Amino acid sequence: MKNTVALFVTLALLPWQAASADMADAVKSPKGYGSKDYVWGKLLPEQVEVLRRSGDLARGKEAFRGCRGCHKADAAGVTDGTYPRLTGQHASVVIKQVTEVRGGVRINPKMEPFSAEHAISPQEIADIAVFLESAETTRENGKGEGDFVARGKKLYEQGKCMKCHGINGEGKAEKAYPAIAAQHYGYLKREMDYIQRGVRGNSHPDMVKAIRHYSHRDIEAMADYLSRMPDYRQSLAERKGQ
Amino acid sequence: MRLILHRMRRSGQIALAALISGLLLCPACALAQAVPLQERLQLCAACHSPDGNSLIPENPNLSGLDPDYIVRQLHDFKSGNRKSAVMSGIIPMVDEKEFAALAEFFSRQKPNPGGKSDAKLAAQGREIYDEGIVGSAVPACSGCHNDDGSGTDKYPRIAGQHSAYVVQQLLGFKNGERANDVKAVMRAVAKRMNEKEIRAVAEYVVTLKGAQE
Repeated sequence: MKNTVALFVTLALLPWQAASADMADAVKSPKGYGSKDYVWGKLLPEQVEVLRRSGDLARGKEAFRGCRGCHKADAAGVTDGTYPRLTGQHASVVIKQVTEVRGGVRINPKMEPFSAEHAISPQEIADIAVFLESAETTRENGKGEGDFVARGKKLYEQGKCMKCHGINGEGKAEKAYPAIAAQHYGYLKREMDYIQRGVRGNSHPDMVKAIRHYSHRDIEAMADYLSRMPDYRQSLAERKGQ
Repeated sequence: MRLILHRMRRSGQIALAALISGLLLCPACALAQAVPLQERLQLCAACHSPDGNSLIPENPNLSGLDPDYIVRQLHDFKSGNRKSAVMSGIIPMVDEKEFAALAEFFSRQKPNPGGKSDAKLAAQGREIYDEGIVGSAVPACSGCHNDDGSGTDKYPRIAGQHSAYVVQQLLGFKNGERANDVKAVMRAVAKRMNEKEIRAVAEYVVTLKGAQE
């Protein structure tokens, strides 16, 4: 009986714990989106420094060891979307996100201690970025229920999403627009929600505008559609072959 | 008389030779005064056992640890950067010049196969070790220390380490008593764990074999 009660309490608290862990990320950034001086894409001094360095794949693989505890050895994160899939992400995007977490533009208290200056050097960020860009995984990513995929496709292609993130969800390396194809459903949903609410510190104002009027259901549908896209590298290779 | 003179000259030569060789050997003299490694190892062995597989669960196994890691810890004990009631009494007796040889010795000792543990708790610990705790953002230990606990030159070997010692150290990281983790990463991790989770992980770590390659 006692055990049943304990189990019940634990189960009842689980969603609350998950929600509170997520809420910790959902804090308005004092330097980020919504603040007076925020300009998307304005390079932080450190970002310039990292971009100037040339990364090394082997060194990056070793430096990534400190990230594997959450993002896993194949860099594909956790299927439920708590930690994103980083395999194949553009180096420019990795550099932007890590330096902006460090710089307090994107608020991410979970990642902060492991990405802070004392934990990884600018050279290591450059190395990790190169490693991730070429990383591969055999693991399936997390997907949605599959109920509204057609709706998600329609919203993605007819809205403004595709303009920046591409028909294959490949993003744009030169602009540091992330690849989002085959990302975990849970992560896509959460980040779109943050962006909509203006609490993802480094969101693009155009994207906030683009998804402002989407319902919760719309966001779920798009997240599901994107999670079911193959890795963009596969799509691009297939297109080339045709 | 001639004989006496001759002897005097000879003894003078001997004295001179002794003086010169004494001067030449001076650095060696200093070494000769230092305690030989074997003798110094006895000091460590009293707590850590001669082969570095300590019999007292509160004292860490040193066998198979990366030598640079051992040297770093010894320096930190010396400087007070890492605090330990026992080591703070021992370390003044050891010269910094001896650290490398001691570390080399223990790193070459064969680690004991992992110890016994509470199977139920170890199973919970394995989950944390391999997957982390998603709800409280605890990274998986395996990320840095490897699946088998073998570690690398940057992250120490923890395979087969005494669970009592692992608990003690994780609690130390958690409350900030141990603060010599290079990148403050262990403090960040341990702060996110509760005591029950720490005990479970330690119970699993002691079972790891750490066989590498």
